Amino acid sequence: MTELLQAVILGLLIGGVYALMASGLTLVFGVMNIINVAQGAFLIFVAMVTWWLWKHTGIDPILASVITTPMMFGLGWVLYRTVIVRIRGSSPSMSVLLTFGLALTIEGVLNLTAGNKFKSATPSYFEESFRVGSIALPKAQVYGFVAAILVLGALYVVLTRTWTGRAIRASAQNPSGAALVGVGATSTAALAFALGASTSGVGGSILSVLYPFFPASHYDWISRLLGIIVLGGMGSLPGALVGALVLGLAETLTATYGSLRWATLVFYVVILAVLLFRPQGLFGTRLREDAVA
Amino acid sequence: MLELTGVVAGYGGGAVLQGVDLVCDEGTITCVVGPNGAGKSTVLRVVSGLLTPSEGTVMMGDIQLSGQSAAAILRAGVTQVPQSQALFPHMSVRENVLMGGFLIRRDKKLLMSRLEQVQQLVPLVADRAAQHGGNLSGGQRRMVEIARCLMLDPKVLLLDEPSLGLDPRSLAAVAELINRLHGDGVTVLLVEQNVRLGLGLATHGVVMEGGKVRLTGSATEVMNHPEIATLYLGGTSATTKAADAVPHDSAGAPSQ
Repeated sequence: MTELLQAVILGLLIGGVYALMASGLTLVFGVMNIINVAQGAFLIFVAMVTWWLWKHTGIDPILASVITTPMMFGLGWVLYRTVIVRIRGSSPSMSVLLTFGLALTIEGVLNLTAGNKFKSATPSYFEESFRVGSIALPKAQVYGFVAAILVLGALYVVLTRTWTGRAIRASAQNPSGAALVGVGATSTAALAFALGASTSGVGGSILSVLYPFFPASHYDWISRLLGIIVLGGMGSLPGALVGALVLGLAETLTATYGSLRWATLVFYVVILAVLLFRPQGLFGTRLREDAVA
Repeated sequence: MLELTGVVAGYGGGAVLQGVDLVCDEGTITCVVGPNGAGKSTVLRVVSGLLTPSEGTVMMGDIQLSGQSAAAILRAGVTQVPQSQALFPHMSVRENVLMGGFLIRRDKKLLMSRLEQVQQLVPLVADRAAQHGGNLSGGQRRMVEIARCLMLDPKVLLLDEPSLGLDPRSLAAVAELINRLHGDGVTVLLVEQNVRLGLGLATHGVVMEGGKVRLTGSATEVMNHPEIATLYLGGTSATTKAADAVPHDSAGAPSQ
C-alpha cells in the first residue's frame, strides 16, 4: 500500500512539472494554430542557462527561474516578431517545419557552446527527501512541483481573469471576431507566444535539477509534451494538466510495478486508447457548431 | 453621416469595388442589395477598416475613416456584425458581450452600465449569460453578435446579411432589434441578399453590381424599380419606376 501511495504521489509531483512544460505548447497551439516543436529546445536551452548560473554563481537552480522566465518571455516575443510572424495564417505543418529548424539551430548553438555531454544541476537538497510517515518525497521534486503549480495558477488567472487573457483566448477562438472588437492580432499573438516561451523558463530550470540533459535531449522532451497535449486535447490548458498527470502516473506506476523501460510506452498506449474513443482528446470540446460543420 | 467617395478596394486579385459613391444620412437604415460578387460585403469591410481602400475616401461627418486602423474606426463609433460567425465559441454569452467593450475595458463603471443597457435591449444576453457562444442557435447567435456591437454605443452599425440562415421567428426578432436601434438614432448600413426583407426593413436602398453603385433611392423606390423587380424579385413587385430613384451610369456616377 505504501509503495502504491509513494508511486502515486511521485507520479502527481512529476505530472505537475510536465503540465507546466506542456502548458506553453498547448497555449501557443490554441491561440495561433502553431505547433511549436522548438518548445523542447527552449527547455533544454533554459536548463543549460540554469546549470551555468548554478555552476558559476551558486544560485539555486529552481530560484533561477526568476531570471530565466523573463528572459524566455523576451526571447519568445522577439522570435515571434522576427521569425514566427512570417508564417502567420499558414497551415500548422508550416509551423512544424519552421520551429523544427529553430530547434535544430538551438541544439547546434548549445553543442558548440556547452558541448555534447550530459549535465545536471545538483543543489544541496538534491538527494534529500521530506518524510511523511513511511513515504519519502524528494525535495527537488516537491520544490519543482510547487513552482510548477504556482506558475500554472498564475497563467490560469492571467488567461481567465484579465483582459489580456481574454484577448488571447478571443484571438484563439475567432481571430476575425477578435479584430472586430478591437483586439490587435499581431500584438496578441506575440504576447501569447512570449507567454508560451516563458513557461519553458520555469520548466527548464526545474528540468535542470530533475533530469540529466544534453543538447539533443529536446527530441525526447518534445515528443512527451506533444503526447501530453494530444491526450489532453490540443489547445486545452486543463487538458494539458490532466494529460501530464496521466503521463506522470503512468511512468511511476509502470516503473514501480513493471519496468522503467516500459514506463513511457504505457503512456503512449493510453493515448492511443483514449483517442480511439475521444479523437478530440480528453478536454478537447465539441460544440454545436462543430457538429454542424 | 457616412459618405464613401470614389472607393476602390480589393483583395489582391483586382479591385472588387471600382469607384463606389454612397451616402448614408444620420439615423437612416440603408440596405445594399445586389448579386453575389457585387462587392456588398466589401463595402462594409472598407467602412469598418478591415480592408483599406486603394483609392477614395470614407468619411463619417468630419472624421476620415479610410486609412485608419480597425480599432480606431471602432473608437470613432462604427461597429460591424460580419456575415460569418463572429462569436467566441468557447466563451460564455456574457464574456462574448463584454468583449464588445474591449476598447472601454479600463472604465469599468462605463463597461458595466453598457452591459446593463445591452441586457435590457437584448434580454437573451442575461437569460443565456453562462451558455457558450458556440452552443447557441443561429438566431440567438445573431442577437448576441449585435448585442456585442452595442457595447461601444455605436453611431453606425454595419450588418452583413443579418437574415442569413435564420428561421422566420429569429428573423422577426433580429428585424425588431434593428428597428429599435433605428428608433434610438443609430445609423444602420446593412447588406442583404434577401431583397424583400432588406428593403422592407430599410429607409434607403442601394443596388450594387460589378463593384459599382447602380441605383440609389428610398427603399420603396428601389423596391419598386422595374429593373430590381426583374432581376431580384422575379418581376412580381410593382414595376413603376419611381421618379426620384437615381439610376447610375456605368462609371457608378448618378446619370441624372
